[in-house]
Amino acid sequence: MKKSLTVLFVSLALLFGFMPTLMAEEGVTDTEIHIGQWGPQTGPAAAWGAVARGTGDYFKWINDNGGINGRKIVYHMFDDGYNPAKTKAGVKELQEGTGIFAWVAGVGTSPGLAVKDYLMEKKVPWIGPSAGSMHWVSPPEKYLFAIYPLYFYEAKTLVKYAVETLKKKKIAIAYLNDEYGKNGLDGAVEALKAHGLELVAKVPVEAAEEDLKPHVMELKKAEADTVLLWTTVSHSVRIVGTSKAMGFAPQFMGSSTTSDFMFMNYISKGLYEGVICPTFGPVSTSDHPLIVKYKKEIFDKYASKEERWGQFYSAGITYAEPLIEGIKRAGKDLTREKFVTQMEGIKGFQSLGPEINFKPYDKNDIYSRQGTQSSFLIQALPNGETKTLTDWIKME
Amino acid sequence: MLDFIQMVVSGVAVGSTYALMGLAMVIIYKTSEVPNFAQGEMALASSFLAMMLLTTLKMSVVPSFLLAIGFAVLLGCFLEFAILRRAKNTNVLGMIVITIGIEMMILGIVSWKFGAEQKTMPFPIGPYDSYMIRDIFIGKLEALILSSALVLMSVLFLFFRYSKLGLAMKATQQNSIAARIVGVRTNRILMMTWGISSAVGAVAGLLISPVMMHPYMMWDPMLKGFAAAVMGGMTSLPGAVIAAYLLGIIENLFGGYISIEFKSVVAFVIIVMILCFKPSGLFSRHYIKKV
Repeated sequence: MKKSLTVLFVSLALLFGFMPTLMAEEGVTDTEIHIGQWGPQTGPAAAWGAVARGTGDYFKWINDNGGINGRKIVYHMFDDGYNPAKTKAGVKELQEGTGIFAWVAGVGTSPGLAVKDYLMEKKVPWIGPSAGSMHWVSPPEKYLFAIYPLYFYEAKTLVKYAVETLKKKKIAIAYLNDEYGKNGLDGAVEALKAHGLELVAKVPVEAAEEDLKPHVMELKKAEADTVLLWTTVSHSVRIVGTSKAMGFAPQFMGSSTTSDFMFMNYISKGLYEGVICPTFGPVSTSDHPLIVKYKKEIFDKYASKEERWGQFYSAGITYAEPLIEGIKRAGKDLTREKFVTQMEGIKGFQSLGPEINFKPYDKNDIYSRQGTQSSFLIQALPNGETKTLTDWIKME
Repeated sequence: MLDFIQMVVSGVAVGSTYALMGLAMVIIYKTSEVPNFAQGEMALASSFLAMMLLTTLKMSVVPSFLLAIGFAVLLGCFLEFAILRRAKNTNVLGMIVITIGIEMMILGIVSWKFGAEQKTMPFPIGPYDSYMIRDIFIGKLEALILSSALVLMSVLFLFFRYSKLGLAMKATQQNSIAARIVGVRTNRILMMTWGISSAVGAVAGLLISPVMMHPYMMWDPMLKGFAAAVMGGMTSLPGAVIAAYLLGIIENLFGGYISIEFKSVVAFVIIVMILCFKPSGLFSRHYIKKV
């Protein structure tokens, strides 16, 4: 009798434990959808922490405006400090503990790489990684939809502009010694090869490095007339500043990760003037109707008083918009497979960022999962203002 | 040749910050016999206080800096009195863990209060203004750190050699029981030691703040300062200073001629090698047992 009761209780416990999983999609209930993101709220990349906070405030706005198909977004964000080990631990904990329907954005190539295979094996959708790495789409993954224009092509576009428009010949690069930096390095090398040129210097920078005099000395020794900066915001500022101190004045060109000129101007005390970067959305100081709307309805209402309205915060909204669009289109009966099918049907979608186009999954076509190809070039003016140098450029 | 000279000059410039942090750590180690891993964060808190005084209260630089140094002294005294002294019967490892805990606490408070994003501190000297002598440059701010470090070192040397308090500190370090017997109030001495050490570290923090501020800004100087202190001998003030400048020069030469990627690793390789071959440090006279 005792044994039968034990078997009965254990069976019931197992049944109740598995029932939610059997009955609905993971991370989805009748009233909630669980979405996760990691972001560097501390550490050397903390300036990019605003991305995750921008997404969070955008979701609050979505919820206060009725949610999606009767469900509210429950947002789970954690600080990984730009440390891939922490990213992996945090993602696993949330995925296996809470159950996340999909992940959005997530700053960093290296942090993202630490969790990519895990999420793809579990068939968990990941929309809009906040990094333009080739790794997301080479090869493309069914459940990974990339929005950020590829760093590889950003570097190629900058080199092309430097050589063809600015008539530069001696191009060097300072790059963060991780996957993000190496993407920029590879793009620069390929673009220069097409013009019959080579990099005159390639200087790796470690994330924890604060004294960059030896790095600038190497760039100066190479007599570079152009320096690509594929580093964090603080490294970029230190290189630009130290170059000024050394009387070394090449044309600096940064990746889109350092394109928030208001912020760069502030932390460089005005030295960032003249730097050229690609960007893929209206600058946060512009009068673009969505910028004005989101600043008023999202930032002014939900952001903490220490938050700064800038490029990184608005990027958190840019990456989340296609996710919300996909969930809307999937309807009330929300499953991951339905969501993925709807994401594949997104064509000509343009909100804050560039036009987004996806296609049905094709493992040989990166553009089935790389939704954007365009950026335009901007240059930092005094006081952090922005000058637009080009129209949208299709990067290839 | 010019490159070599520039690297040496840059190494000396950056070595001043390491020297101040190394000095601060040795001052505490000499009396408390514990490496203080909260050294960097104690300087961090003082630097952010100065930034707050400059930006929010619009005070001018000199009073802000003096108040920040005063705060650093009080902070050091408070930490020794309220936390370190209360630890009963702990061994060195226990004390080290306590200082690591203090470090994390201060880092968390500063991050929470001021945010993790980079910030700047208004200062009359631009962060990258420099003197150029022929083709050799030294930053004006670095020259200020160098001269401040030399002045502080001289003051500390005279203090420990000739002042009553300095002698009392040396006595406490050499034999605290005997010092107590002859009337030295060793608890008070320990507290003041932490206060002085915190002030020395705060000078380093304040002078690197005009370049860029963020909660992790003191990690690198603290670790390199610790490396310099180990290299010089944890009980030798001049040793820590000389080692700090040597470290700055070695780092820059290594980065310039051998590998820029592993430039920062040099400091830690040095710690390991010193601990293996001369654990008492290059300039320490005794304490061979104390590893």
